[in-house]
Amino acid sequence: MKKNFSTLLYLLSILLVTAVAFGLRIHAANNLSIDYDEDDYLRAGQVYAHLIRTSDWSGFLEENDRPEHPPLVKFIIALSILSEPESPLLPELPTSAEPNKYLPRNLVRPVRTVNAIIGTITVAIVALINPVAGLSLAIHTFNIKYVSQIMLEAIPSLLSLFAAICYLKAKQSKRSGLNRWLILSAIFLGLTAASKYLYCVVGIAILVDWFMNAKEKGTVKISIRTAVLWGVLAIAIFFLFDPFLWRSPITRLSESILYWPNYSATATEVENAGFPMWQPIFWLFFSPTVWHKGVFPFPFDPFITILALFGLKRLWTKERLYVLWLGIGMALLLAWPTKWPQYTIMLTVPLTFAAAEGVFLFRDNILEWWRARKTRVKTHYNKIETRRALPWLVPGLIAFAVLTLFPLIFQFGVSLTNFNTASIRDGFNGGIWRSVSGGVTGQLPTMPADINARVDKVNFVGLNLYPKVFSFISYSDGWSVLFFNILWTILSVLLQCGLGLAVALLLWQRGVRLGKLWQALFILPWAIPEMIGAMMWVNIFQTDWGWLYLAADKFGENSFFAIFANALDKGPSLWLIVFLLPAMWYGFPFMMLAASIGLKTIPKEVFDAAAIDGASIWQTFRYVTWPLLLPLLVPAIIVRGIFSFNQFYLFQAYGFVDSTLATLSYNVFNPSGGFGRYGGQFAVSATINIITVILLMVFVMLFNRWSKAGEGVTYA
Amino acid sequence: MRKISFLRQLATQISLALVGLFVMLPIWGMIRLAFDGSLKGRPTEFRLLPKVWSFDAFMKVLDRPYQSVDFQVLLKNSLLVSASAALIAILLGMSLAYAFARFRFPARQSGLFALLLTAVLPPVAFMTPLYIILSLLHIRTTLLALIVTYATFAMPFCIWNMRAAFQAIPKEIEEAAFLDGANDLTSFLLVTLPLALPSIAVAGLIAFLMAYSEFTIGWLFVEKADTVTLAMSIYAIVQTQYSGGAQPWSYLGSLAIIMSIPVVIIFLIFQRTLLERMMFGSTSD
Repeated sequence: MKKNFSTLLYLLSILLVTAVAFGLRIHAANNLSIDYDEDDYLRAGQVYAHLIRTSDWSGFLEENDRPEHPPLVKFIIALSILSEPESPLLPELPTSAEPNKYLPRNLVRPVRTVNAIIGTITVAIVALINPVAGLSLAIHTFNIKYVSQIMLEAIPSLLSLFAAICYLKAKQSKRSGLNRWLILSAIFLGLTAASKYLYCVVGIAILVDWFMNAKEKGTVKISIRTAVLWGVLAIAIFFLFDPFLWRSPITRLSESILYWPNYSATATEVENAGFPMWQPIFWLFFSPTVWHKGVFPFPFDPFITILALFGLKRLWTKERLYVLWLGIGMALLLAWPTKWPQYTIMLTVPLTFAAAEGVFLFRDNILEWWRARKTRVKTHYNKIETRRALPWLVPGLIAFAVLTLFPLIFQFGVSLTNFNTASIRDGFNGGIWRSVSGGVTGQLPTMPADINARVDKVNFVGLNLYPKVFSFISYSDGWSVLFFNILWTILSVLLQCGLGLAVALLLWQRGVRLGKLWQALFILPWAIPEMIGAMMWVNIFQTDWGWLYLAADKFGENSFFAIFANALDKGPSLWLIVFLLPAMWYGFPFMMLAASIGLKTIPKEVFDAAAIDGASIWQTFRYVTWPLLLPLLVPAIIVRGIFSFNQFYLFQAYGFVDSTLATLSYNVFNPSGGFGRYGGQFAVSATINIITVILLMVFVMLFNRWSKAGEGVTYA
Repeated sequence: MRKISFLRQLATQISLALVGLFVMLPIWGMIRLAFDGSLKGRPTEFRLLPKVWSFDAFMKVLDRPYQSVDFQVLLKNSLLVSASAALIAILLGMSLAYAFARFRFPARQSGLFALLLTAVLPPVAFMTPLYIILSLLHIRTTLLALIVTYATFAMPFCIWNMRAAFQAIPKEIEEAAFLDGANDLTSFLLVTLPLALPSIAVAGLIAFLMAYSEFTIGWLFVEKADTVTLAMSIYAIVQTQYSGGAQPWSYLGSLAIIMSIPVVIIFLIFQRTLLERMMFGSTSD
């Protein structure tokens, strides 16, 4: 009875998810404006439709409009417009052209609908495996957008999912060798390749998983033979479904693939977009809701990505193929020179599986907390002790309130107004107090907030500035300061930890000569005041007169220095490295010291035992040193994380750089620099500050939760 | 564990030397500037060593580094501001730290949370409100304003650290003092405080260093040359350079070195203690 009920619930949820997915995709297909590339793919479909109509089957051997993409999806497009009367072939425009707004509606609609249906089927299949993942995919706005337009994404997305599922089925089955499921998986992989090359990343993930599996079982030799057969089959299927290649396979295939490096190097739209190397990560935290107003219900994407980050570890133990798929795909996108947002669709399926695990993780945590609520002890306060504490508390609280809390509260007050340089006179003559007190008591009307406004009287705007500023820091002019701040924090902490730990381990080996001397030298960056350190690095990288540029002048055009300097002038990717170097420089000594102290607390016997068991150096580190050391490093990591999040002097010293490549702190200090067009908005700066405080609050909660030592301090 | 082989020793030394190069590269850049007597403004050619070795920049800087202000005035301002800020942060925060360390009272947990939160806020978070408040009080451009500003930056951190210091002293010692007739105040002054003094001094030292080396935000609170601190004068040299100023870059280098040396010495001596304090006392538990 109970089992039947849960089956029913399962089916119902799948139906519901599919319905949601279908509704959102059809709505998007009908309402999305025409985007870049849609005319190109529609034209390619028209070419094929003409061939089908005239039964010119040999034409498929010669025709492939936009030959950089294989023909399968274009063939499907042709099929979906077959029922419409033939219309004149669309003009061929350069890839840099603006979207063609005047595409014939009667052709756009059927193709978009077919794509949307295929997208819905993908969601349904994902929901069959995991309804929560299905729901995440159903509401993922980027996925909705690109599977509902005349793009190539819908079909390879579905086919690659099939390839993965069939492989997983084969993994479960007992029959070794090239069994039925493996054959199917190879076929689907071949079809994926015949739809869009990038999606073949699932094939790489499958091979890696296969190899890892075989290694665990000790059957590498047999597996490699099967895998080669599997790969050959996939390639054969690819050729079978790409008739354009039949006449001269090598030339046409190489033309088709070599198109890409050439395209990314020369196409004007790629250069104009000027996306940095890490743009794909940004896309995962972005939602196209701002591009198409009223098409999507809510920008779910960043939340799905955050959930996915939390769920990765669980997903790895449950089914690592998806994590490999996500990781290898991301690595490929980071390396791939063009950064169009539609490429991330190849990751949305594994991403939503990870997001589902993230949801389960939170559910389990909440359940655990709920169950444990009864066993928690409530602290009872002793009245006498409270009275004894009072004389100590009062003077300290007054000082703390005046020096620390009052500025923060004042800051909050300013964030409720539109105080800026234009209203500075009024503000200093009581305008701030007038507007805040009047506004809070309701005597003054709440004005709408505007980041650009410059009024010479301070007005009360209530909380209206918050959503404006939040959307400003999370997305403006195609970039997000908030995203950069978080990316910055993670990368710099990783680098600092890596180098710090490596150095600590090197120094910790027995009998290392000059150990004390090296350690003293390595402490220097930590001891040098931050701003001076920053200036030392500016002295190297400053445009025109930094060491780098002077060296470029001296050693000529072809020297490493000149090439580096030129690349630096081109775009933001390299600037990130130029900023990360000093960040690593500042931070690694702290991590090195923390790790050294931690390493000393590990008893030597542990390592003797590992040596007796014949553990290799790597195994000793992975299974002995690291697990023992990590808990001791957590507080240091969090301190460095907070420091990196707040990093200010470094960006201030480099001051000349575009402020989007800087932390929130820098933007608070430079409301006129960072908000150039808006200029001197004190209220905006105050609002960013309050948002920063809230974000740091989350950090501190993590500090309390993850650092056992910190807990000991807090609850002692 | 056995001693490492020769080959491994060699590889280790080479890796450490590479890291050492990474550490020294930017520092050496500054040293080169400081000792180059040939610089008229910014450096114009690539050099690993100074063109003309000279100690002039140090002499000039030790005499009059910024506009018409003497080095002694700057140093005096720096020491006065930093020491007062540290003292204020310590003295005003002490009783609160003790209360949180010794007593249980309602809302204690939320208080600790607020304390930790304010301790990790960036100094910039306090900048805008302090600028406006101190302007309203008409003391924005005095040394007092600088002291208040730096004390604000440092106080939450000092409170948090002093609390850890008080907590590390066993309660039993105080209880023994109670038996001998001491009250809360006398037991604090005569028993707990002397024992916690070394840790408090370290917290004060960190607060001092914070104020001593801060020189960007401080400029918001300066209008006349006689309230500039040593650290700020470095920033002034940088700023005049950005706007095409005429001071040789060797001044910048030598002043940076003069300023860093005492801090570096303090860090080398107290490295372990400073590390523990900066990790909010979490290694010592």
